[in-house]
Amino acid sequence: MNQIEALKLYENSVKILKNNQHENGGFYASPPGTRYPFIYPRDHSIDILGAIAGGLMDEAKKGLDFMLHAQKPSGEFSQRYDVDGNDASYKDLQIDGNGLVIFALGKYFEATGGSFFEEMADKEFVLKHWDTIEKAVEFILINKNEEVDLIHTVNSIHEYPAYEHGFEIYANSACCAGIFAAVKMGHAIDKDVSKWESEADTIKNAILTRMYSPRRRSFIKCIRVKDKSSNPIGYDAFASAVIDVDAVEYSPAYFGLINEHDVKNLATVKRIHEQLWDKEIGGLNRYPELWGRNNGGYGPWCHFTCQLANHYITVDNQDMAEMYLGWVVDMAHNYLLPEHISTIERFEMWLEDYSNAKILRDSKLTMIENTRNHPKWKDGLAYVTIPLIWPHAEYMRAYVNYMDKFQSQ
Amino acid sequence: MIRLSSLMPKAFLMGIVELVDMVGPEKTDRWILSIGKKLGEREGPGIEGARENSINYMPICPFANELIEFVEISGERPPQFMDIIKHTNKMREESGRGWEFPAISNIFCILHNSYRKQRAEMAGSKMLHLGCRSPLTKTIVYNDKAIEKAGMSRDDVDKVLEKSVCVFKIEDPKE
Repeated sequence: MNQIEALKLYENSVKILKNNQHENGGFYASPPGTRYPFIYPRDHSIDILGAIAGGLMDEAKKGLDFMLHAQKPSGEFSQRYDVDGNDASYKDLQIDGNGLVIFALGKYFEATGGSFFEEMADKEFVLKHWDTIEKAVEFILINKNEEVDLIHTVNSIHEYPAYEHGFEIYANSACCAGIFAAVKMGHAIDKDVSKWESEADTIKNAILTRMYSPRRRSFIKCIRVKDKSSNPIGYDAFASAVIDVDAVEYSPAYFGLINEHDVKNLATVKRIHEQLWDKEIGGLNRYPELWGRNNGGYGPWCHFTCQLANHYITVDNQDMAEMYLGWVVDMAHNYLLPEHISTIERFEMWLEDYSNAKILRDSKLTMIENTRNHPKWKDGLAYVTIPLIWPHAEYMRAYVNYMDKFQSQ
Repeated sequence: MIRLSSLMPKAFLMGIVELVDMVGPEKTDRWILSIGKKLGEREGPGIEGARENSINYMPICPFANELIEFVEISGERPPQFMDIIKHTNKMREESGRGWEFPAISNIFCILHNSYRKQRAEMAGSKMLHLGCRSPLTKTIVYNDKAIEKAGMSRDDVDKVLEKSVCVFKIEDPKE
């Protein structure tokens, strides 16, 4: 990996993160005037984790304060918000947002404490938002199916109900980790969180058993179920399992529910790498091409590539870590990272598929124009939505871990 | 065909028909408005839909499928729906604040406007419903008083309706 370029990308990622935080605290998904000038709890939470990794604790706190104030009366965090914290969503429930916000808050809380947790941890901030935390956890729990002890959602990380409607691995891992974070914060400020602790253990056990396929030696993507309260779920209209590979099958380890070295995780990551590493241009795809939802052309995503880089860093596999992180460094354009990268051929294939099927939305026209006008197009590559803030945050996390692990030796 | 799992939206629409017969369009209208407002309160502040600066729009009608299916089953649009729509249109025309009313292309517009208005007010904004296209007949209807208050024209609204079915202007009362 080119260490000088890697450092420059890190330094620019810090700038990107700081420059794309609105004065009210929300991190834009992409800069104003580009594709996603709203605040999405999913992206925003990872941005907060990036800020923590980069030591931007004031920014992290401001981001959390913004999001915690934006909670809906039901306890839900919506798909997206405007800069004033008003719900501006246009999609159905995405419950991973609830888990992610509490998970990010928990990481902030841990980071403020450091080695002197009792004395230094920002308990005041947690106390201030405790009612919000309670509502967020309770909202997750009312979406738990009592037959299988898993959390039901309509959309998850790919916002793709066809493959995510039901009990989905990323949403369940995020929510479970969020409840564990709430438990930890509750203990620190002397709250009775025994019920949540028990619920989190139950959900975790369900993830590790019902969502792991011993024969495939991999976590699976989703147990499709239409209605959260279907009982028995075998009679639900959608009852089926999505067993295709998906980058987020790594989620149980990503959210700390299992150890990175756990054999279930190692085998899952092996399958992800074998099936989703892009043979033509490198980098990690998010799911199989034949799922047929390849906006901007099928291709690797920077933030999923960074996530697995982090895995390889943690398990001491420096060659693979450098292959993954080095790819991100190499593909950055002027130290900016796109949402994903495709080839011209695949881009045009996607455009043909969507045009013929008449499912090309007007909102995609700007993305198409920007992609074709990007300098990388002349190199044969489609850079879709650049910069996206989320991959910069994931890169910061992976880069800091990489340096801690390999450069201190 | 009505299947049990999709009974509820149809039950609501049939409830409107029955209620108009029982208590008339005025009271039924108030009932629908009250439902929208209460649901909006529960959902909290927000402005759903796509947005371009102060213009907000719905790319598709969230109620279209249910409405079309109900009308297909009924064989025609129930006249009770038109009774309520006529009542609301009359109120809008007679009111000195007609911009606060919806542009109605179907019965769900009344519910949606009440819900959306409540959520926008909780967010510190006001929403003007400028126009919409009927999912049944494709006819475009306008709220001319809202369009005038927004400082726009029907042509402006038509341009947004080329990519949407429902157009609003977000008004910040502080401005």
